Amino acid sequence: MINEEYFLAALRLAAGHDPLPEHVSAAARDAYGLRVPQAVTAVPAECPASREVRSADGCKMVRFVAAGLTFDLEVTVGDGLIDVAGQIAPHPGEGSHVDVRTPHLTLTRRLARTGHFAATGLPPGWLSVVCHRPGQPPVQTRWVRIRP
Amino acid sequence: MHEPRDSGELLKAAADDDQRAWDMLESRYGPRMWATARACGLSEADAADAVQGAWLRLLEHLHTIRDPSGIGAWLATTTRREALLILRKGRPGVPLPEVVPGDPDPAAAVLEADISRRLWNAVSGLHEPCRTLLQLVAADCGNRQVAGRLGVPVGSVGPTRSRCLERLRTLIHQQETVQ
Repeated sequence: MINEEYFLAALRLAAGHDPLPEHVSAAARDAYGLRVPQAVTAVPAECPASREVRSADGCKMVRFVAAGLTFDLEVTVGDGLIDVAGQIAPHPGEGSHVDVRTPHLTLTRRLARTGHFAATGLPPGWLSVVCHRPGQPPVQTRWVRIRP
Repeated sequence: MHEPRDSGELLKAAADDDQRAWDMLESRYGPRMWATARACGLSEADAADAVQGAWLRLLEHLHTIRDPSGIGAWLATTTRREALLILRKGRPGVPLPEVVPGDPDPAAAVLEADISRRLWNAVSGLHEPCRTLLQLVAADCGNRQVAGRLGVPVGSVGPTRSRCLERLRTLIHQQETVQ
């Protein structure tokens, strides 16, 4: 006689009937190439303008903070691609640049004097921004999922 | 032939630029992470996002995992959390569990693969809400998550689960009798 607890344990293990797709496995292995040595991770913070709320036009505001820097990202989803307009404040210094990254595509951008940058045509999914500063550790935002 | 490497050892090696160690972690835990995400009720595309998200979280914490030997449980718990975050975005109001490092690993139960396969096939043959409920139970979702997902009172989950398990038991018995 199979009791309920045994049945439940069997069910949990049996959930393995649905095999891991190869592309998911490959993406996980490729993710290793996305690590940024010595990076400081910027964590999400309250964004007074929008509190990470997506507006009717598909625009979403997110804020990250670390190492004295604030990353404000305005992410727009349209036509199956995402556009990012961001600002890092205060300006991290002369010679700084950012990498706007997804698991499949990285776009490098110089920062304007105001700390602004923009990147367009990124694939939907996971997104992170890394700020590289001469002579200091890079600062990367946590990965955030952006989908229509 | 080398002995299988300990998970904690693999994690430390991965933190020291060893891609092969990372790949071995993926081989060891990827299927279970996928099962966790799928059993939370996610589509294939969303489950892929949840699993990818968990690996990206590991990258963020590669040097700061407090118990490297518990990396399997950490990955499973993180996958479940990412899955539930995705579910909540699609369905506001789905409660989120607190992530507790060192959650029990479902693989601790030792069962024959063939038995597991037959069991899951039987679950797929059940009518709703039993099919979804047992999938959620298989993902270790608590009664509140199950209730939120099914849109039923929390108090009804336990009795419904018992009835569903009884139906599953009957279905398996019928299949065994036919064979």
